[in-house]
Amino acid sequence: MDDEIVELLARRAGLDKALAEFRDDVLAAARQTATVTQKLNAPTDPRVEPWPAMRPGDGL
Amino acid sequence: MNAGAGQVEGPLHFLSVTTAAQAIAARALSPLELMKAHLDRIAKLDPKLNAFIRLDAEAALQAAGVAEAEAAAGRLRGPLHGVPVGIKDIIDVAGLGTTCHSKVLADNVATSDAVCVAKLREAGAIVVGKLSTHEFAIGGPSFDLPWPPARNPWNPDHHPGGSSSGSGSGVAAGLFPMALGTDTGGSVRNPASCCGIVGLKPTYGLVSRRGVFPLSFTLDHIGPMTRTVEDNALMLETIAGHDPYDPGSAAAPNGHYRAAVDRGARGLRLGFVRHFHETDMPAEPEVAAALENVARTLQTMGADVRDIRLPSLGEFSAVNRIILQSEAWSVHARWLRERPGDYGQLARRRLMAGAFLSAGDYVAANRRRGEMVADVNAALAEVDVLLCASSMDPPCRIDRPADIDRTYTRQARSPFNVTGHPALAMMAGLSSTGLPLSVQFVGRYFDEAMLFRVARAWEKASGMDKKHPPIS
Repeated sequence: MDDEIVELLARRAGLDKALAEFRDDVLAAARQTATVTQKLNAPTDPRVEPWPAMRPGDGL
Repeated sequence: MNAGAGQVEGPLHFLSVTTAAQAIAARALSPLELMKAHLDRIAKLDPKLNAFIRLDAEAALQAAGVAEAEAAAGRLRGPLHGVPVGIKDIIDVAGLGTTCHSKVLADNVATSDAVCVAKLREAGAIVVGKLSTHEFAIGGPSFDLPWPPARNPWNPDHHPGGSSSGSGSGVAAGLFPMALGTDTGGSVRNPASCCGIVGLKPTYGLVSRRGVFPLSFTLDHIGPMTRTVEDNALMLETIAGHDPYDPGSAAAPNGHYRAAVDRGARGLRLGFVRHFHETDMPAEPEVAAALENVARTLQTMGADVRDIRLPSLGEFSAVNRIILQSEAWSVHARWLRERPGDYGQLARRRLMAGAFLSAGDYVAANRRRGEMVADVNAALAEVDVLLCASSMDPPCRIDRPADIDRTYTRQARSPFNVTGHPALAMMAGLSSTGLPLSVQFVGRYFDEAMLFRVARAWEKASGMDKKHPPIS
């Protein structure tokens, strides 16, 4: 994500004040998420449910 | 200060919860003397350790006086009668501030006790005060907050771990014999590891979260922090239980966690998750050697130790962070929009990250989470308990941000926040520089009794409960 896109997303999230006062922190926050989402291997089977599964049961 | 002749052995500030409670019940120990010994210790050491945000000495002494009169009259409130406890400052204690170590909530006073605090008080425990944490249990250690960060009693130049920093530091230093911490990515087990004590993250839903400031609803756990395994089991027996007003609370029966604690390791099947610290995040050699020593010792005691594979630490960590940051953003968005300057820099950066994650990221992480739950359940069908690293490094210096950043994610605790399995961290030995090294045991859902059994076997063989920091 380049800085312009981060700024756009930050304004969309309502972080105008943070962007004005702590721009470096906003950019650093956005960079963290870019690397973390790349490490996720999302399930390839479209039937895999999120946790907790959408069914009544015994908790965990 | 020592107990009187013919009563209890050793300095009062290092008495275990179990010993102190038994001595009070037998009228061999005065709750008031016990409290005074701890307050003396706090007065002497807390200026170096910063474990407290708010010490409530007057109320603690008054409660100890009442406990003494009740004990003298043979009226014990419960199994913790007269024993001091410290509370992490994201957990409500009626009449005291719940600041979350943040300027944002500097004036926030709790009107009632969190459920876990109420249960401790019903059992006779006495609250001594509110303890340092990383800001909102995520941003620390920080030097730009209204209160300084807690320090490690093994060496005050070092980090005590977090986010339940004051809880870990204070229990290890003998400021109080037990404390409550919270754990969303490892925040009970990290300070337990860094400070050489016993910290348990129970099964998700076993301990009510009501009255505890949320970090991440589906990852948050409340856990006991003590110097001995038996004390930890006793504390869990007190705080566990279904709460119909906590949507995440499980309808599991309360366990009798101390019943099996001394049954030893003979015949148990242990799964050693070596790839966590050998290939996923290679640990410091001293940490790896300590883990091998724990496995070998338990094997010598009759346990069957075999290798087990789980998903990689990197992926567990990614799932934890996507879920944590998404849920935490939903908690903090309004304050981050309106008053970002009231947060310290670390919390501000970590909490704003959720603004850049999508709903799709969150659901994808939760779909992968379901698969990870199945993987850990499958492993625990083969063995009784998993053994793995907690921290990959000994505690680092608190004043070196680069070292804090480097070691912050080098841990194997967050996998079990993702899956909800119970996990206990404790001391595995000391480093060449005299700092605690750690090991982690992980069990089946609601089988904390088995965790305590294995942990106690290691504690008994190693004498880890007898090791205290050399601070005075």
